[in-house]
Amino acid sequence: MKKALQNLELLSAYLDNELTQSEKAELEKLLATSLELRKKLEDLKKIKQLGNRVTRIPESPFFETRLMAAIEDQKNETSRIKRWMPAAALAVVTIIIMVVLKFNPGLIDKMWEDQKVAIAGFYKENLQPVLLAANLTNEDVFNFAFNNELPLDNSRQQYLLLGYDDSGKEFFEIRSSHERINRDSYKEFISAMNLDAEQKQTVDSIIGSYSKALEAQVLVNEKNTIAINPNLWNLRKAIFADLLVASEKLNKTKFDRIVPAGISNAEKIVVVNTVEKLKSAYGDQYIFVTPDSIFAESYQFDSKLYEKEMRELEKQIKLNEEEVKQFTLNIRYDSTFRYIDDARNIHSFRIVVDSNICRVDLPDHQIPEILIPDIETIEPLIEQATNSIHFYAYKIPKIEKSENGIKIEYYNDDSVYSYMVDYNMLNIDSLAEANPGLDLYRLDQLKPVKPFDDTMLIKYQYDRDYYHRYYSDDEFKKQMEELQKELQQMSEELKNHKIRVRSEVTKSTKK
Amino acid sequence: MISKDKEKDLQQPQILSIDDDYSIIRQFIDGDKFAFQILVKRHKEKVRNIIYITMNNSALVDDIAQDVFITVYRNLKHFRFESQFTTWLYRITVNRCKDYLRKMNVRKIFFPIEEGTEVSEYPTPVEDNDISRIVMDAISKLPVKLRMPLILKDIEGFSYQEISETLKCEMGTVKSRIFRGREKLKEILQPLEKELMN
Repeated sequence: MKKALQNLELLSAYLDNELTQSEKAELEKLLATSLELRKKLEDLKKIKQLGNRVTRIPESPFFETRLMAAIEDQKNETSRIKRWMPAAALAVVTIIIMVVLKFNPGLIDKMWEDQKVAIAGFYKENLQPVLLAANLTNEDVFNFAFNNELPLDNSRQQYLLLGYDDSGKEFFEIRSSHERINRDSYKEFISAMNLDAEQKQTVDSIIGSYSKALEAQVLVNEKNTIAINPNLWNLRKAIFADLLVASEKLNKTKFDRIVPAGISNAEKIVVVNTVEKLKSAYGDQYIFVTPDSIFAESYQFDSKLYEKEMRELEKQIKLNEEEVKQFTLNIRYDSTFRYIDDARNIHSFRIVVDSNICRVDLPDHQIPEILIPDIETIEPLIEQATNSIHFYAYKIPKIEKSENGIKIEYYNDDSVYSYMVDYNMLNIDSLAEANPGLDLYRLDQLKPVKPFDDTMLIKYQYDRDYYHRYYSDDEFKKQMEELQKELQQMSEELKNHKIRVRSEVTKSTKK
Repeated sequence: MISKDKEKDLQQPQILSIDDDYSIIRQFIDGDKFAFQILVKRHKEKVRNIIYITMNNSALVDDIAQDVFITVYRNLKHFRFESQFTTWLYRITVNRCKDYLRKMNVRKIFFPIEEGTEVSEYPTPVEDNDISRIVMDAISKLPVKLRMPLILKDIEGFSYQEISETLKCEMGTVKSRIFRGREKLKEILQPLEKELMN
């Protein structure tokens, strides 16, 4: 048996010409006498020949190029790893710190409490107004009132942005201005209100009267501290309301478009009181944003003393331009700011930092309301006016969603364009999805369901402030055209599905 | 700049000899980065084909071949000039294929239906141009230890000596495995014998 198997292996090797002379001679003798072996040889030959029938893989002309690129890539990766070694070491240290903190959770708090007074004192030294009243232009003050923005340095590299989140809570952001579109908001407002040169002068003087009050709201020092007075939110409302009252007097017709119901006497009284209070008292609480912490502390900004010092300083500025440069603010966004979101303590700040923005959400107690008790009564007025100014002066569209449809209004060339999509019944797919086990022959029994996914339209629902800051008019027009096309297309598609939908575009002229 | 000789060498693979490969490797060790490209150009098609037949999957060929040549690139400086370059190169190729096959087998446990696989369970009816596919499918059903020597012998035309050096096993083992491989292949192809032999 073993011998027979050996002979078969020899046959295979014989085919491959791999036998010694003696092996070959011996095997050939056997082959001459054995029909079975000859048959086996024939079978093996056929199998061996099948190898020639296998087609080779086509050449790959770009193989070397790709290979060399991969080798280069790997080289870079190795050097990258080397470069990241210090970061890896840092990560190890971080993990160790995390472990320490896990077992000593109060460590940081305790250290912070111990150091707080000293640190606060350090950052409170030598605070000065970020922008001298003299450097605040009317455009700046107007922008602050209407667009919630205040420049943080003379070169306008950074802006302080005040805002309200979905729940109405105040937050502020420090943003770099490189993505910001420069708009002449004040000019746009003057032109939308159709004010002549003399009327503009009146508005100028109102705006100018606030620059001194604004001066004391945001203070900075050479340690990159920004101290923000929470009254800033109230002051913004006051300036806004004051300008509204003035606008009503200056051009009643145009003003009616902004606030159709007009301003009541009660509201005017609140505005006057608010303005008066805010111009004289600032409150002594400031929020300090420093390169390594954010805290609220009382701080008395002595405006009289400051004015005296300022006079000295102004002299120096005139003498030496270099002095001014020293006050250029440079907040390091990527410094040790962290997410501080302490759920246990509603009085803490929540801080979010990315490469361009540092956002701080204010805790509940920060905005002084006792000082100006009636300010909330003019809030609806401010909101309505803000929306109208965005719509008429800046031409930002209004988008209203209801259960029955979506209405988009856009103002251009003194006309209001209105796009309306009204849907009561929807396509079969969404009906089927909303009503599992649906009987398709009894559609009439179904209650109308909420429309199909309207994400297509939601993306056009701009955050108005955001739009206003970061999109140019051209960009906006382009987007409106796209929206129009998509609406028409959608309406066509819906018609094809024989679904009851009313979609129309109307144009109404308002002089 | 590539010298004219090298340019010519890159364009036209020449009849190979040990000396050719050795001198190119020496140039590479001396810092001539184009020398490596010459080596790749000379040997890539054979390497790719071994991978193609072994894996029976054209989609994997260039990835594995790239792996092979990157390994060569990294280790070429330590080449000891004791054996042919090709023996070393094909050994790396065979080992890479084995690694991939092992990985694929592990993956099959978790994802029984492998995407992109060109292996079919049973031979399909023959059309003239399908013979190559049928043979490759049959080869892919051979155990790896029988598959490798058979491919190197019957498709790539290696000698038993070369196979024994590449696979690092005895000549006797090579001889026996090639025979067993052929026998097994015959068995797999038995149902299609008529079509194949026609």
